[in-house]
Amino acid sequence: MGNFAKSDTNPLEYVKIIPDSKSHIFIKDDGICIEECENKPCTYYCPTRVFYWEDDSIKILYKRCIECGACPFGCPYDNIAWENPRGGYGVVY
Amino acid sequence: MGNDRYDVVVVGAGPAGSSAALLMANNNLSVAMLERGPYPGSKNMSGGTIASMPFQEILPEYWNIDGIPLERKIVSDELWMLDNDSAVKMGFSGKKFGYAPYNKFSILRYKFDKWYADQAVAAGAKLFNNCLAIDLVYHKTGLLSKKVDGVVLEGGDIIHADLVVLAEGSSAALTQKIGLRQRLNPADMTLYVKEVLELPSGKIEERFSLEGDEGAVIGMVGYPTSPAIGKGGIWTNKDSLSIVVGAYLNQIVNKGLNPLQLMERFKSHPMIKKLIEGAKPIKYLAHTIPKGGFKKIPTLVDDGVIVVGDAAEMISGRRGIDLAMITGKFAAEAAAQACALDDYSRETLSSYVKRIKGSFFYENMRKGKNVEEYFNTYQDSDFLITKAMNDLAFKYFKQDLENNKIRLRKMIEELKNMQPLQKTGKDLLYGLQNWEVW
Repeated sequence: MGNFAKSDTNPLEYVKIIPDSKSHIFIKDDGICIEECENKPCTYYCPTRVFYWEDDSIKILYKRCIECGACPFGCPYDNIAWENPRGGYGVVY
Repeated sequence: MGNDRYDVVVVGAGPAGSSAALLMANNNLSVAMLERGPYPGSKNMSGGTIASMPFQEILPEYWNIDGIPLERKIVSDELWMLDNDSAVKMGFSGKKFGYAPYNKFSILRYKFDKWYADQAVAAGAKLFNNCLAIDLVYHKTGLLSKKVDGVVLEGGDIIHADLVVLAEGSSAALTQKIGLRQRLNPADMTLYVKEVLELPSGKIEERFSLEGDEGAVIGMVGYPTSPAIGKGGIWTNKDSLSIVVGAYLNQIVNKGLNPLQLMERFKSHPMIKKLIEGAKPIKYLAHTIPKGGFKKIPTLVDDGVIVVGDAAEMISGRRGIDLAMITGKFAAEAAAQACALDDYSRETLSSYVKRIKGSFFYENMRKGKNVEEYFNTYQDSDFLITKAMNDLAFKYFKQDLENNKIRLRKMIEELKNMQPLQKTGKDLLYGLQNWEVW
């Protein structure tokens, strides 16, 4: 495993996001995160740290999402559903 | 907009979609182009250069067109093999690339894509921003057969069209939904993060040895993404620098890497730090690139539908934008033929597939297949070769007190201690094929 030292910088300071009122990212089955997923890689491979682990489940800060498209593919259990945000919402580069 | 009918609806207004829309509109087809963001380019990130020759196939002498947001003409292209505090540098700087027809230009996608889509609009295409297509609609053509006949927008409106061009980019939701593209594995894609750093143009020219609107691109391997196989890079815009770093997604996941942390680490390398000193971050971007290559190319056409650009996995090495443009052009040619025949069946549209199979990049992708397999088998090859080159160069350039014969023997000895020479040679060979492109 790599070096987990986390930096203090918050790149979201330079990102414009128009958040929708509802999430476009979902965990399909919380049970898989608890019982099968040991490393919870979504908590580190996401470039803006949308995912974090708390109270026995993955929490999703969808308003941080910059739509890189990695999360549904990076999850080793195919347990993340990601949809395009509705038209006009989400990141604006 | 509900229940409108067009000859063609293009899903996505990036380089592939705008190329297709522009050329189709030039051919007098009625075209609707859908962009899910507030404007084209608002969701896009890329390696940041457009190649002159392919772009000229669509817009001859594009550099003379009013208002085109080109950043700098690239006259210097380098590859650095980075170790912790050193680099072996290779590259080419050529004033030849500073004159028309040029070689490539740096661009910023949030400016360029918007401008490019406007060219399609000027040609007669209709652009709908903030417009997300969520499904396709079909039209029965026989007892058991059907053809795509348009798209469904969120909210339920339908735009009908004889032909749908899927130019939806890397994530390709619709292409997957209708079963043309199989699900990708994390080994089939790379994940990149990028920052745009503001720096006065004078400083850029000084630091990169440039004059006026000349630009430089530096690709980097080794340190930026170690221990994963990936690349870093830095290139010059008018008054900003773009810096990227990224690697194969499966390796990021399996090796516990955080992309933002890779970026921070990359920026703190002594040789990078110097280049970006005092530059102010103004953008942070992230995107995946489909790297499934030859074996993951989706089904490219079906009745009433064509897939182009990243959605079609048209990536060969570091070439993506120009391939997107060319596939957009091929799609426009196939559409013109289909319109003339008034037949949008898979058979007619397969002229698009023929054009792709005859292209230079298809051959490159076919060959590139082995390179991808190699790097998935030998995930340490990038590290080994970078290390070896830096150690060798260090010894080579060091002024010591030994005679040349002993020096050479020691250098070879050291190489052999690392791994068999044959394997090092192979790593280098595959490495060069992989780095050739960005």
